This record gives sequence, C-alpha cells and structure tokens, in this order.
Amino acid sequence: MKLRVHRTILAALFLLLIETAVLPWFVPAAMGGRIVPHFPFLVTLFVAVTAGRHTAFFFGLGFGLFQDVVFYGHLIGAYAFGMALAGYLAGLLVGRLRPSAGLYIVLTAFGGFMLDTIVYAIYRLFQVTTVSYLFAIGWQILPTTAVQAALAALFYFPFRRLLTRPAPAASQGSGERSSAD
Amino acid sequence: MIGLVLFIALIGFTLGRSRLTWPEKFLHDAFGAIQSVLYRPVGAVAEFVRDMGRLSEVYRENEVLRQTVARYAQDQMRYNFIEQENERLKRALEFTERQKRLYRYRYLIAQVIGYSSDPYNRSFRIDLGARDGIREKMAVQTVDGLVGIVSRVSEFTSTVMPLTELDPNSPTGIAVSATVLGKESATFGVVDAYNRETGLFRMSRIDPNDPLEVGDTIITSGLGALFPRGIVIGTVVDKQVGDFGLTLTANIRPASAFDHLTEVFVVVAPDMDQPETEAEAP
Repeated sequence: MKLRVHRTILAALFLLLIETAVLPWFVPAAMGGRIVPHFPFLVTLFVAVTAGRHTAFFFGLGFGLFQDVVFYGHLIGAYAFGMALAGYLAGLLVGRLRPSAGLYIVLTAFGGFMLDTIVYAIYRLFQVTTVSYLFAIGWQILPTTAVQAALAALFYFPFRRLLTRPAPAASQGSGERSSAD
Repeated sequence: MIGLVLFIALIGFTLGRSRLTWPEKFLHDAFGAIQSVLYRPVGAVAEFVRDMGRLSEVYRENEVLRQTVARYAQDQMRYNFIEQENERLKRALEFTERQKRLYRYRYLIAQVIGYSSDPYNRSFRIDLGARDGIREKMAVQTVDGLVGIVSRVSEFTSTVMPLTELDPNSPTGIAVSATVLGKESATFGVVDAYNRETGLFRMSRIDPNDPLEVGDTIITSGLGALFPRGIVIGTVVDKQVGDFGLTLTANIRPASAFDHLTEVFVVVAPDMDQPETEAEAP
C-alpha cells in the first residue's frame, strides 16, 4: 500500500473539523472533557502504519501544532510534541510489519495512552493542572483510549480504501508491503 | 535534542501570553468559519432528537415556565419603580457620569462554534471577535449563569476559557469575587478553584461570621472589576473551616452546564478608562 499524501492531509483536516464541531454533541454531557478522541492523531498513526516513521513524525507535528494554535488555551506545543513523538515511535515500533487492522487498533490503544500521558505530563510540568496522574488516568485517559481504539477499528477500512492506493503490480497479489521510505 | 529544546522554549514562550499574532488570528478565523457551519446544525438535530425523547418533560417544563413568566411580569413592575427611584436618588446625590455608567452592561449574543478536544483546556470558540467589540477577559454567561471568560480574541472569532479551568496554582490564575444573592453587602468570598473530582467550585476567604448558608445562590459581586456584578455562579453545597482556620471555605455547585452550549452572552462592561464619546486609543 502506498499513502496518498494530499488526500490524507485533507482527510485529517476534515476529521479535525468533525472532532471539534460535531463530536461534542455525541458525547454525553456527563462525559464532556473525559472522552476526547483526537481524529488527526488516528490519521497520524495510520500514516505511521502505512508510510513509515518519518512521514508520521511530520504529520503529528503539523496537526498537533494546528490543534494547539486553533485551540490556544494555556500553551502552544503540547499536542505538537506529543503527536510527533507518538507518531515517530509508532512508526519505529511497527518497522516493516505488514499493516493490518489488528496492528492499527493495538497501536492506537497504546499510542493514545501515550499521547494523553505526554500532554498530561507537559501540563503538569508547567503547573497548568494539578490533578494526580492516577486520577487523570481514570478520569480522562482510559475512557478516551477505549473510545479511540473503537474508532480505530471503525476507521481502518475506510482509511485503507480512501487514503492508500494499492502497491505496484509486482507485490499486489502477495499482499507484501511496498517500500515505505 | 534540539527539537526538545525548541519545544520547551515554545511552550515557555506561549505560556501565559494573551495577545495573538496575525498567523494565529488567520488560522483561528479560517477554521472558525468552517466550524460555525457545522456545529450549529448538528447541535440542532441532536437537541431535536433529545427533545423528542422527553416530550412529557417538556410539557411540565412549559407549565413551570408559564408560572415563572407570571412572576416575572410582577417583578418587572417593581423593577421599573425601583429603577426610577434609583435614577432620582442618583441625580439627587450628584453621581458623576462615570459612576452612573458603571453598571450599564451590554450583552452580546454569541453562537458557540466548536469545542477544544484537549481535556486540560476545555475552551470553546464563539463567533464574535474583535470586530464586534469583544476584548480579552470579558465575562461569558448563559441564561443559567457564568460559564467563563474570553481568553483569546481574533478578528471574527474568539476563544472562551470555561470556569472549570479555574486553578489558583496555574500561571494564569483568575479568581471571581463573589457574594450571596440577597445578602450582597454582608458576604464576600473568592471563587478560585474548580475540583474536577467532585465537579464543584471552591469559594474561599469567607469571613467566619459570614451569614452564608447551604443552599444560598452565589453571584458575582463585581468588586474585582474583571467580572460584572450579578451573574449567577451556583449554589452552596457545604461550608467548612478553611486551610488556616481563619476563614471559611464553601463548595459550590455550578449553575450552568459547560457542555453542549449553543448560545452564550458576552457581557460588555462600559469602558471606564475613557469617556463614551471619545474614540478608542490605538
């Protein structure tokens, strides 16, 4: 599979819109601020699975920064840093494994947990928040991670159909992954 | 490594800044324009579906509202008398123009256009900006009560920091001076923290002899000059002796919801630094 980069960028922008303008309506009021999936992050991890760690790094950096700037609250950089790092590490972990739905879901679960932890750590470091890490896990990180993993299962096949084009004829039949770099 | 240093510099630099540069403003407005197209219609549909599910409740709510309107009409009459008398007394006591204008607030109706998906920064965006006279640190309320303050302003949109971000230890620590409805001159306290674990505000620095009681309605006092007076914050749940035993602390249940907002009011206090006729300083 080969990533269609332009399409993926558009998809991530569109999903960010959905995430900020449509999704809040579907989260019950009692869970507001607790279930906050990051759609561009899902795209970043998909990029990590299909196109390798360097592309994922820049995707994470770009969309993290975008999110930071558009919803500039306390500081700029938390999501840019977290998403870039998580995207890069995800790409590194996956290495040359064949992309599959299972891999993507597992990666999203761990990556989401990591992203939320990084963001929490940055906010904690700069004393924007003072809640304890254990509380943050139960309050926000676990619910978000669970929902994100479910969304990953939902998104994987549409992503694969819309955002990638099949590998060149030589490797198409065997399902072997084409060179990523 | 260099990246890490750059990030820490970026974070440190952007911490506690309130002005926006033009690229930020441009991104805000461009993204806000598209968000506003989506958020409202989806909200309308979602609310409609929810309302269908509780039609009987709406019927009962209607009854209550009708009674409230009846009471409101009576209050309106009383209010008119009191206002006239107030005006007369102010004239008699020779209040200055400035003092008279002190509490003449304007309310701008704003539509919410999107929510942040950052759990430690539940900001939302509204569709009014510098063009409409919005400035930083203006109070934002719903019909139920105070929800937050304007934190960033660009030309056509602005960002609102909800009151749930109140934290006395944060570098942007903001506190709301508050009092009790009906005992305005006798009580005083500062709402300065929100506890995520309980969902309650903390009101501290209350005098030990204060007549504040459980069940009282807490409103802004307007003494801090940041928030206008008379906006409902919530109701008192309990009160106990504070950290050092010298003052009391009360927990307050917020009056307003912070999620699924559609319409909010930005409270524009009259500009105290200059006469109304003069043009704004650059």
